[in-house]
Amino acid sequence: MPSDEKTKSKKQTKALVAEGFSVKSRLKNSVVLPPPSAGAFKENPLDKPTDFRYFYERGDLPIALEHDTKGNKIAWKVEIEKLDYHHYLPMFFDGLRETKHPYGFFARQGVHDMLEHGGSKILTVIPQLIIPIKKALELREHKVLCKTLKVLQHLVVSADMVGEALVPYYRQILPILNIFINKNLNLGDGIDYGQQRRENVGDLVQETLEAFETHGGEDAFINIKYMVPTYESCRLN
Amino acid sequence: MSAGAVPEPKSVTRHSKWSEEVEEAYRFQVAGYKGAEEYKAVKGPEVIDRWPNNGYIKKLVRKDGYFYYYNKERECPDKDVHQIKIYSY
Repeated sequence: MPSDEKTKSKKQTKALVAEGFSVKSRLKNSVVLPPPSAGAFKENPLDKPTDFRYFYERGDLPIALEHDTKGNKIAWKVEIEKLDYHHYLPMFFDGLRETKHPYGFFARQGVHDMLEHGGSKILTVIPQLIIPIKKALELREHKVLCKTLKVLQHLVVSADMVGEALVPYYRQILPILNIFINKNLNLGDGIDYGQQRRENVGDLVQETLEAFETHGGEDAFINIKYMVPTYESCRLN
Repeated sequence: MSAGAVPEPKSVTRHSKWSEEVEEAYRFQVAGYKGAEEYKAVKGPEVIDRWPNNGYIKKLVRKDGYFYYYNKERECPDKDVHQIKIYSY
């Protein structure tokens, strides 16, 4: 009898691993594998250096590297007002994908400076900014996402009509925002320090969409709702 | 480029709380000047670019000819307030 039990338990332990819906998966002793991950949140790190890095290393950009304690400023070699926005703004946006120092810092600070002082010149460059923005969001890297979302929030308030000009491009930008809108930690009564540093992606996405709706004119909400169905208006109701 | 002799300040004070005066001095000192007097002495009596809404400095030219741009809002962080020197002449 004990030998019979032994063989029985041996049979039970020897499970057959099978993929779902395969013929094997229908056998009694098979253990069906879970479905493979769809990879919606999977990070796609930068595989090759960006054009921004190339141009910076070649010395094409009108900026200078600083080695002082106040490391939050860029020294511009020419006045920003005199820069060709069609050439430089897409180049700086392209650098948003970079996380390596100093490229990441220069791109972020350069974009913010150019948006702050660009005025009416920004509006005409919008179509050229969409691809760099989309590429940056598609990396799905936490740092890059936070940076790009903050830049988007700055972009819509940088000049008149920019918010409206972005509406036709929601189809390119918003799918990634739709994925990350729920990326928010539930810590109960714990403290999420990312909130203080504005690094909570879920909150940033919500803020960005609200900025889009506020500055995007009357068509903005319905277009956002089409791409991000869980978004609720911050203006209506 | 130089417009005259750089004036020597008579005294220096530091503030413990942020004010618009501190913000103004901070912006000059980030660009490498003691204050408006030195800036005028080095760069000549050019009008300094300021933000229209609050009058904060918008753009300064450094001594090496490079440009520094400043934001509309307050830039001087609390931790740097006590390091900012307010010169009087």
